[in-house]
Amino acid sequence: MAASNSVAAMKPPTEGTLRGIATFLATFGIGVATYIAIADSGGGSPVCLAGGHGCQTVAESSYSHLLGINIAVFGIAGYVLLLACALRRGDAARMVGFAMALVGFGYSLYLTYLEVFTIEAICQWCVASAVLMTLLFATNSLRMLAYVGTEP
Amino acid sequence: MSGRQDREARREERLREDEQAGASERRQQMIKIASAVAFLAVAAVVVLIVISQNQSSGGDSSDLEGISEVKQELSGIPQNGMVLGDPKAKVTVLEFADLQCPVCKGYSEEVIPQVIENQVRGGEAKLSFRNFTIIDEQSIPAGAAAIAAGKQGRGWNFVELFFRNQGLERSGYVTDEFLTAIAKGAGVTDIARWNRDRGSKAVLSEVSASTAEAEKLGFTGTPSFALDGPATDGTAAMGTPDSAAVLEEGIEAAG
Repeated sequence: MAASNSVAAMKPPTEGTLRGIATFLATFGIGVATYIAIADSGGGSPVCLAGGHGCQTVAESSYSHLLGINIAVFGIAGYVLLLACALRRGDAARMVGFAMALVGFGYSLYLTYLEVFTIEAICQWCVASAVLMTLLFATNSLRMLAYVGTEP
Repeated sequence: MSGRQDREARREERLREDEQAGASERRQQMIKIASAVAFLAVAAVVVLIVISQNQSSGGDSSDLEGISEVKQELSGIPQNGMVLGDPKAKVTVLEFADLQCPVCKGYSEEVIPQVIENQVRGGEAKLSFRNFTIIDEQSIPAGAAAIAAGKQGRGWNFVELFFRNQGLERSGYVTDEFLTAIAKGAGVTDIARWNRDRGSKAVLSEVSASTAEAEKLGFTGTPSFALDGPATDGTAAMGTPDSAAVLEEGIEAAG
């Protein structure tokens, strides 16, 4: 009982802090997605920093493209939108940020599943993006739940 | 406190309470909208996954025979390209075959499983499948499809499953749909990549190179076997052994 009271009493970080964290993560995400997109557009594949052919295998897989467009391009668009939501105040930004992060997080989960069980190769850049999306989802969910309907 | 001040204080309190109730109501309303937004976001993810999965659609492998038998036959044995078995095995058995050849199908079902069980699984020998395309022009895309499956570690699954579902010779059954169904049944996971690989110049020239190799070894029919081991002088042509026992004796002699 005491524990649940203490949890209930826990105060979420201020919205400014959450927006700051989301800004940092989305900017970092734009960098990662841009690198993957540029590496692919040159006919190559991202270079796995720890060595191995995981990045090449994943990049050559059919799952690296959606409707003929590299997934990383969708990633850039998603991160840019998340950055815009982090920079803006108000309920619209809170909700769009939350929805976008949920889509990104859900699709990242699916892509990670494909890497492990279907493609059977791990690309560090994709994992980095999946981690960023997970953190953005947590940040935007907290922002939405704690501050939606309140004054900006 | 005068009556007027008292009324003023009550009025302010009422205003504060109304404001708080309004804010709470607005928050409840926004949370309802957020729930709908979350639902739409999840639906968007599902749509994206369906689109992604449909990109890899093709032939239907549900009518194929022998998927589980082939899987069981090859389970736990390493595959590298079209080579089945321990890469360090002393003897390499080269099988030159045409996927459309009915005699090759017979060997695949009666001779090869015994060799796999007795000598490949134990690490004594490894089997290398080579296309020797002698039936008709459809043997070339079939052979290329097998090599493309080999690039995803499913070359032997493809060959064995093809033989178990082989159609009537020269009947034109080797369609894209048939090959795609075999690939899926063989466990090729990235069908788009398999499609790219099987149409590539490199893979098609691999098919013609192995046919030329068979001719150079003096083979005229399929399946034909050759052995390469410590006791052979390079690649030794063996021809078409009568039984698994003869092939196994050859492997022992080559080692």
